[in-house]
Amino acid sequence: MNVRQWAADLMLGVRFAFTGGREGWTRAVLTAVGVGLGVALLLLTTALPNALTVRHDREAARSDVTFSGEEVPKANDTLVIAKVDSNFREDSVRGRALEPEGPRAPLPPGVDKFPAKGEMVVSPALKELLESDSGALLRERLSDRIVGTISESGLIGSAELAFYQGAEGLAPHIQSGTIERIDRFGDPEPTSEQSDPVLLLLILVVFVVLLMPVAIFIATAVRFGGEQRDRRLAALRLVGSDSSMTRRIAAGEALAGAVLGLVFGAGFFMVGRQFAGTTEVFHISVFPSYLNPSPLLALLVAVAVPAAAVLVTLFALRGVVIEPLGVVRAGRPRRRRLWWRLLLPLAGLAMLFPMVGNGRENGDFNQYLVTGGVVLLLFGVTALLPWIVETVVGRLGSGGVSWQLAVRRLQLSSGTAASMVNGIAVAVAGAIAMQMLFSGVDAYYTRSTGQDVSRAQMEVTLPEGTSVETSAQKFRDTEGVRAVYAISEGYLGDSAKDAEWNTQLTVGDCATLRELANLPSCRDGDVFAVHGSQWDPSLDDGKMAEPGRKLYMDPSDVGEPKSLEIPWTVPQDLKAAKPRPGLVDEDMDQGGFLMTPKAMPDAFAPALDGRAYLKLDQSTPDVQDHVRNTAADIGPLVDTMTWAETERADRYDAIRTGLFVGATCVLALIGASLLVSQLEQLRERKKLLSALVAFGTRRRTLSLSVLWQTAIPIMLGLLLASAVGLTLGTVLLKMSNTPVVVDWTGVLSMTGIGAAVVLVVTLCSLPPLVRLMRPEGLRTE
Amino acid sequence: MTPPAGSLLSAEQLRKAYGPTLALDGAEFSIHPGEVVAVMGPSGSGKSTLLHCLAGIVTPDSGTITYNGHELSAMSDAQRSALRRSEFGFVFQFGQLVPELTCVENVALPLRLNGTPRKAAERTALSWMERLEVGDLRKKRPGEVSGGQGQRVAVARSLVTSPRVLFADEPTGALDSLNGERVMELLTEAARSTNAAVVLVTHEARVAAYSDREIVVRDGKSRDMERAV
Repeated sequence: MNVRQWAADLMLGVRFAFTGGREGWTRAVLTAVGVGLGVALLLLTTALPNALTVRHDREAARSDVTFSGEEVPKANDTLVIAKVDSNFREDSVRGRALEPEGPRAPLPPGVDKFPAKGEMVVSPALKELLESDSGALLRERLSDRIVGTISESGLIGSAELAFYQGAEGLAPHIQSGTIERIDRFGDPEPTSEQSDPVLLLLILVVFVVLLMPVAIFIATAVRFGGEQRDRRLAALRLVGSDSSMTRRIAAGEALAGAVLGLVFGAGFFMVGRQFAGTTEVFHISVFPSYLNPSPLLALLVAVAVPAAAVLVTLFALRGVVIEPLGVVRAGRPRRRRLWWRLLLPLAGLAMLFPMVGNGRENGDFNQYLVTGGVVLLLFGVTALLPWIVETVVGRLGSGGVSWQLAVRRLQLSSGTAASMVNGIAVAVAGAIAMQMLFSGVDAYYTRSTGQDVSRAQMEVTLPEGTSVETSAQKFRDTEGVRAVYAISEGYLGDSAKDAEWNTQLTVGDCATLRELANLPSCRDGDVFAVHGSQWDPSLDDGKMAEPGRKLYMDPSDVGEPKSLEIPWTVPQDLKAAKPRPGLVDEDMDQGGFLMTPKAMPDAFAPALDGRAYLKLDQSTPDVQDHVRNTAADIGPLVDTMTWAETERADRYDAIRTGLFVGATCVLALIGASLLVSQLEQLRERKKLLSALVAFGTRRRTLSLSVLWQTAIPIMLGLLLASAVGLTLGTVLLKMSNTPVVVDWTGVLSMTGIGAAVVLVVTLCSLPPLVRLMRPEGLRTE
Repeated sequence: MTPPAGSLLSAEQLRKAYGPTLALDGAEFSIHPGEVVAVMGPSGSGKSTLLHCLAGIVTPDSGTITYNGHELSAMSDAQRSALRRSEFGFVFQFGQLVPELTCVENVALPLRLNGTPRKAAERTALSWMERLEVGDLRKKRPGEVSGGQGQRVAVARSLVTSPRVLFADEPTGALDSLNGERVMELLTEAARSTNAAVVLVTHEARVAAYSDREIVVRDGKSRDMERAV
């Protein structure tokens, strides 16, 4: 084989791709745009692992946790740092209060100067939010003067809301996990990110499902202008080009489109990269600089796309006999065989099957098996569809003229019809499976929380030294708060040191205690022992709850500094109470002692932590943020939590919306290629259409025939896609140990979008069809 | 102006322009039932445009076309389509058969468009195919038959509705002389047997020889050769 001859033939093909006047250029640009969109998506995907690594590294670099657990002594290079995270509406706000203890105190990444008390440095996104009208509520909470912005190295995303504020007097409150003294930022022994196996499964499936149709789309795009090209090739045969030369020239044409597509793709990627810096997906944002494709993967894309274009062309031409007389006849199509087509999805299932039941706790997923299994199963759609279309259309009877024209055309070229629909079928199958997986996983998590958000929707943790009564009153006065159940909690031990038995003591007024347990009666001064609690059964053996028994509040533990060890005698008039389902989690029912305020010895106060559960009027706009503002007003270390049921639902909605948007974009992309192919086929038949109209064929008949021609393969494709999607979804749910629930709304919406794409394509092809049916088509001069 | 007495289809003072190009410039035409009229002229002279206007495929910019006492330009597009389906037949240079349909389905197509049930339409189609000596091709697709055979199938298709006027635009243009002559013989014989008028557009004198009368079109103007004689 002569390399020079090969190169010359390919180059001739490249030249042909751009000749042919406006039409030639349009075709080349169209191919390049199609391939370019696919390439951009591929580059983006290859850049994502890098983006996640950079995020992870930056997160590790600003880590402010003392991993050793040893207390760092105060020095001139230490910093006391307090977590003052918050939330604003749906977004998390990362906050740290900083108190440098000497001139060499470590600066957080991205910050060049410590803010003084009353000052803060903020992320650009937070600055923008605080300066906007929509950030007014947050500004009430973060009212410190902004003296600078955190630079990119200190943030994990362009949309991250973060601040560092100056603080004083933190040192006496040092407590592991909340307020710590550190002498350096960053994890001294950084680890690679450990993914949740189910999350890994979701990510792998999303990648495969989104990339498969793109790959098919690229394969379709390089075939744009296929029929015209075939005519050109026939002309080349006439002037002496042999069969393999002709094929190489055809490959050269495809190569030109693919290479131009690479250039377009790089351009689209650069634009998309900038755009990515301004968007946030599922509360994750990135800086454009994070999106650097790994050079090896980028090289792979640069080589694989043109190579794929050449191979696809050669593969598509294998059944075409190009004759020198300007006639291109498809070689007699061999009957498609089912057995090897069935092998693909079955092999996919076989690869996934060993991981059924691995679930959340039982182990990891083998990512190669997951990817391979999903790819094979989805690839099975592309293998099975031509067989199904051929078999079904071969059996379709004759109906009206439009039906007959469509069916006969499909019978003659069922492969073309199937390949046009393949991309849509794969996208729909993947989207159905993802819908099922997301919906199943989410439904499972929501159920498993067991949270009853009807009784309380927020929880506030009050730091040591904060008055529970005063705080509770402030929350009661907050807009949208209907009820406040404020409690103080501590632990009682059966001895002052190294207690064998510990139990919880909860102090609250009668109304609050009634929310925690079923009380026989209650007045201020009463003490109750809760028996029968599943969560805290420590009083059930009766020993600790014996009237007259001496217990110790805040007992000391082995090896820990001495605690308060306040003695307390179980009162004689101790009342028995029965547990109620937990206030926010039905499994966490309240056990131990319950005490009304009058019964609490004053000495207990410093040993108790304050907590409040809030019942909210959800119809009040931004009610959670009003509560957070009150909490910030009480103190910067007051921590608020919103109970999760509604948030999880919102998160699922976001994923569902994202999935719809993604799948719709992919389908629209494929729809565009479908339209291009459709128009091309119609143009090829211009003369025939005009002739049919000349002898009186109604335009409606021809339009209907075009609709049938698209609708029949699409219907079959969507049926197959639904079957494969549901199968894949079921397997994935079983793999994640999640009960299998079919999300019929998702199935119907995805197939509906697929069908809508066909309808739109048909509607868009009608005006050109009507134009092509004009009698001018009969003119030859 | 009134059409010539006894004419089935006639045209007066036809003008038609495609952009700046004047394709017809006062062309006249008439044909009687059973008559074969050849429209001759060099390439680009306007003969195909004249045929398209006469068949109601193209609307002239001015002038009148009368078919069987009805003015074509007064008809709607749907009415003209119906007329073409039921009263006219067409043969084009390259047959223009639908490649996906078998030959018999192609021939039956005009009948089916008129609402004839499939089986009945295919029976009639087959009888016409046999008359045109292509009955054995009924199950073949156009791509599987020769040019001459395909053109005979196209002639069968044009005659299957028993049209009163048959329009043939260069029907032998893509055939060798032997095949061309055979197609012309079959076409004119079949047309005469049903008393159909034939408007035959050609630039070949040997094809025109099958006609009763010749009209020459040049620069959009027509000249009746017989009257000139």
